[in-house]
Amino acid sequence: MEQNAPRKVALIANCLLNQNAKVCQGANYRGVVSPVVEALRRRGYLLQQLPCPELAFAGVRRWWAVYEQYDTPAYREHCRRLAQAIAPQIEQYLRRGDEVILIGLDGSPSTGVRFTSSNPDWGGRPNRPEDDWEIVPRRGIWIEELEAELVRRGLPQLPATGWALDMGRFDEAGARRDLEEFLDSRERAAGSQGKDPGAP
Amino acid sequence: MSEDARGWRIALVPDPLINVGASPSAALPDVLGALEANGYGLLQLPPSGEHRLLLAVIADQVAEYAHHGYAVVAIGVREVGGDGLHWRRLAPLLRHRGVALPPRHILRPDRDAAVERQRLTAFLTGYDLPAAEQRRWRL
Repeated sequence: MEQNAPRKVALIANCLLNQNAKVCQGANYRGVVSPVVEALRRRGYLLQQLPCPELAFAGVRRWWAVYEQYDTPAYREHCRRLAQAIAPQIEQYLRRGDEVILIGLDGSPSTGVRFTSSNPDWGGRPNRPEDDWEIVPRRGIWIEELEAELVRRGLPQLPATGWALDMGRFDEAGARRDLEEFLDSRERAAGSQGKDPGAP
Repeated sequence: MSEDARGWRIALVPDPLINVGASPSAALPDVLGALEANGYGLLQLPPSGEHRLLLAVIADQVAEYAHHGYAVVAIGVREVGGDGLHWRRLAPLLRHRGVALPPRHILRPDRDAAVERQRLTAFLTGYDLPAAEQRRWRL
């Protein structure tokens, strides 16, 4: 590849390369989520790991939480700080004409892209019955703040999807199908415009 | 939700070892594959350049892991400035957070790739926290 040729870059949720970042009982893999990495590398994407906002804010032994619990000024400020830390790299990719996509974690209160978890009643002593949260079509807090930071920098909205790990019942085959459809649709869109998918 | 599968081991890895096209030599072993095979997660370090804020964010995460029973290592690559690990900046950030510096393994692109792969595997397989620390944290 020519040194200045546009590249394909995937911004990926921290825990897709490091399942140790997951909340307790939330890790489905030992470390790397290999189906995601394989799908992206097979299509020539460079990987750019995003920071994990929950780990740095509430710690590795944090309780499970839903969108409403993280929707606080302090957490949003924390997410903005992380966004400011990673945004210069994203801006660099976009300014040099790379194709940049975002792969989040659907169902996550922070990193959800298509879906997040919701229950306005959660709070207090953590003794909720299993599965009493809802999955709603909405970004997580971290993705909202990251996208807002990119807008502040005058950058375009990124094509995005989520690996459906936090949807209650994890279906790896379904998640893989979803991701591959998203990636293939990017290839087709680029092909129908008669250009390399990495071209600006 | 399933039983938790986390591996409790994490590697700091420079960008050129993750995005192989940008690496200085094709002779490097597949680091992502080796990490996956050995049950490690990874924290990606940025390419060379000024990344003050991002390195501070990474140091915060390493501190959180190191203080709660996770084994953290660093894998560098010779021929990249500072072995790709930003050690001059990262080491003081870690010390400031009360974290012992992670053991480092430096890959040598000028050596035989098969030998480097074996060295890397031996390093990854052989490292973990002492058993007492593991028992304390890993239920």
